[in-house]
Amino acid sequence: MSLQVLIALLGWGTLVGVDLVSLPQMMIARPLVAGTVAGAILGDLDAGLKLGVIFELLQYDILPVGAVRYPEYGPATVAAVATAHGAAGALGLGLGAVVGLVIGLLGGITMHLLRRINSRIVSAASAALESGDPRVLVRLHVGGLLRDFLRAAVVTALGLGFAVLVPPHVTFVLTPRGATVVAGAAVAAALAAGTAGTFRLVGRGPNLAWFAAGLGGGVVVAAWLR
Amino acid sequence: MAAVTPRFGRALLRLFAVQGSYNYERMLGLGVGVAEEPLLRGLPADGSASPYRAAVARGAHFFNAHPYLAGLAVGAAARAEHDGAPAELVERLRAALCGPLGSIGDRLVWAGWLPLLSGLALAAVSLGAGWAAAVAFLVVYNIGHVALRWWALREGWKHGVRVASALNNPILQRGAVLAGPAMACAVGLALPLAAQFLAASFGAWGRAVIAAAAGVGFLGLYFLPGRVTGLRLGLGFAALALVAAWVWQ
Repeated sequence: MSLQVLIALLGWGTLVGVDLVSLPQMMIARPLVAGTVAGAILGDLDAGLKLGVIFELLQYDILPVGAVRYPEYGPATVAAVATAHGAAGALGLGLGAVVGLVIGLLGGITMHLLRRINSRIVSAASAALESGDPRVLVRLHVGGLLRDFLRAAVVTALGLGFAVLVPPHVTFVLTPRGATVVAGAAVAAALAAGTAGTFRLVGRGPNLAWFAAGLGGGVVVAAWLR
Repeated sequence: MAAVTPRFGRALLRLFAVQGSYNYERMLGLGVGVAEEPLLRGLPADGSASPYRAAVARGAHFFNAHPYLAGLAVGAAARAEHDGAPAELVERLRAALCGPLGSIGDRLVWAGWLPLLSGLALAAVSLGAGWAAAVAFLVVYNIGHVALRWWALREGWKHGVRVASALNNPILQRGAVLAGPAMACAVGLALPLAAQFLAASFGAWGRAVIAAAAGVGFLGLYFLPGRVTGLRLGLGFAALALVAAWVWQ
């Protein structure tokens, strides 16, 4: 991976990380989009699409309501695709997913920490906010935005660090058969999370029949295309 | 209304960053205050106890709702301030809007529009549409996204304290009702296609093992919610697979 590609991935991962919550929530943070663009940057669209689908399914397990804590799969998908590109083949898919899951976990932790830091800053500025000075309000808000930019950049940089450092060491340890096992585990976890998350969204009401109809249609199309 | 148009545009733009300073103390409060501020500029602003300053301070108080619909509260509160509503009424209005805006937004967007289009995009990628599916997802999703933000701010500004009537808008109600079945059908369609897409590079035995592992994982996720999450399952499966791969050289 050249320096230019790494910088482009860092920029893309940062935008993706900020989009999730702060600005502008246009869903470039969805793994399918984040992974596809990361794949295009690397010239490896296949890895981008496959890992995008894996993390998109994992994303179904998350419903971002209220102040719920959740992993951050956007920059994680960028890191996963970069790792997969560095490792290539079945090893790439499995290893990329593992790196992506670790970065997703770290991203979620940093989001929670950022909210706590924001809370302290806002609490300390309560009196100034109650004065109704719009400059104080805007300064606090922009400060939060900038901290999220920094957070997203650090998480992405960490993921890209993994992507550069991990594959050369693991390719010596894992055989192609072992790599297939890791890739299969990632696919199984994604399918389980996608199905369970969908079931929770659908519930046991009338939507269940619509889900069954869609599922039946999907099975027929999949069988027909085999 | 016409004199407010540039301010309306500024408020709308600021709403895209309404969660920029998200925190556990005031949740979206600061972002809502920042978005509301341009709409408050017509209020008397002389002195530190002016109506403008009091309204800016109120605008930044605790607020939590769906970010795409927060504009409804921003517009309504700003209109109420211009109409000279008492401070307590504005505070009550904001508090009363949190629940309904959160509930409708979650049903309409997080549990409807977003997974519906994500499911269709997953199905399209699995059927070979490639990057075009991701682009189509972004374009279509954001047509609805931007329209919803614009509608919410406009309706809030139009109705003021009587904003509850906007929530009864037939398009909004009908959308919330239709989004659920459409989402269920689209994601149902996508799951087997995505499974086939991802498992295509594995042999017959590999596919059988993946199906069995996915079944066990699904049972864990479904019957032990909270304790088993997608992330924990993924990390657990990955750890087991790495050990198995190391042993099975």
